[in-house]
Amino acid sequence: MQEILAIVRMNKTSATKKALVEAGVAGFTAFKVMGRGKLIDDPAVVAERKDKMMSLAGADEQDAEMLIDGFLDGHRLFPRRLFTILAHDEDVSKIVEAIMSANRTENKVGDGKIIIMPMLDAIRVRTGEAGEDAV
Amino acid sequence: MILIRAIIRPDKKDEVLAELSQAGFNAVTVVDVVGRGKQKGIKIGGVVYDEIPKTLLLMAVRAEYKQEIIKVIMEAAKTGEKGAYGDGKIFITPVSEVYTVSSGMKEL
Repeated sequence: MQEILAIVRMNKTSATKKALVEAGVAGFTAFKVMGRGKLIDDPAVVAERKDKMMSLAGADEQDAEMLIDGFLDGHRLFPRRLFTILAHDEDVSKIVEAIMSANRTENKVGDGKIIIMPMLDAIRVRTGEAGEDAV
Repeated sequence: MILIRAIIRPDKKDEVLAELSQAGFNAVTVVDVVGRGKQKGIKIGGVVYDEIPKTLLLMAVRAEYKQEIIKVIMEAAKTGEKGAYGDGKIFITPVSEVYTVSSGMKEL
C-alpha cells in the first residue's frame, strides 16, 4: 500500500480528477496549499516565464513586476493543490503516469511534484476492514 | 529520499522559510492547519482552545540533508532561548519515489 502526494497547478485540479477516474482510482483527498520550488538556474527559462506573466498583467498594475520577480526568485509562495491518494502497490505507476500526462504543460517549470511513500495500514471506518481491503 | 513534515507557529513561518532558503532548501509546501498538542490546547479563563492555528511545512528532500534541515527549522521556529510550549513538531517519513511533472524525470 502506498500513499501518493501530488502537487499540481490550481487550474489542473479538474484535469487531475478526470485522469484519476480514468486510471481507476476515484478516491482522493485534496486541499489548497502554498509553496515554492527549487530555484531555476537557467536565466532563459526565467525570462520567458517573466515575459509571459507580464503580458497577463494589466497595464495599470504598478506592482506587477515586483510580484512576478518575487515569484521567480523564490521569495513568494504560490498556490497549488495537493492531492493525497491511497493506492495498491501495483497501481502506483499507472496513477503516476495519469497524473503526469494530465499536468504536463509547455511552461518547463512549475508543473508540480509527485511523492510516493509507503503506508503501513489503512482502516475503513464504516466496516472496520483493514489493510489492502480498505484501499 | 525522505518527507519532512514540520508543524510550526504561523508567526514563525516567514522566518523559517527565509532561513531554509538561505540554507539552500527553497522547495517547500505550506499548509494552514489547526490542531492541539499533549497540553490539550490552551485554557484562557474558562475557555479551552483546542484548535490552535499552526502552519505545516512539507519538504521532500534527499536523506543526507535531514539533520541540516532539522537544525535550521529548530533554530528558526523556537520561541526565545529555551523554546515554549506550542513551538511545534517535526515528523520524518521515508519516501519511495519522486517524480517531477514538467520533465517527467524520476528525481526532484
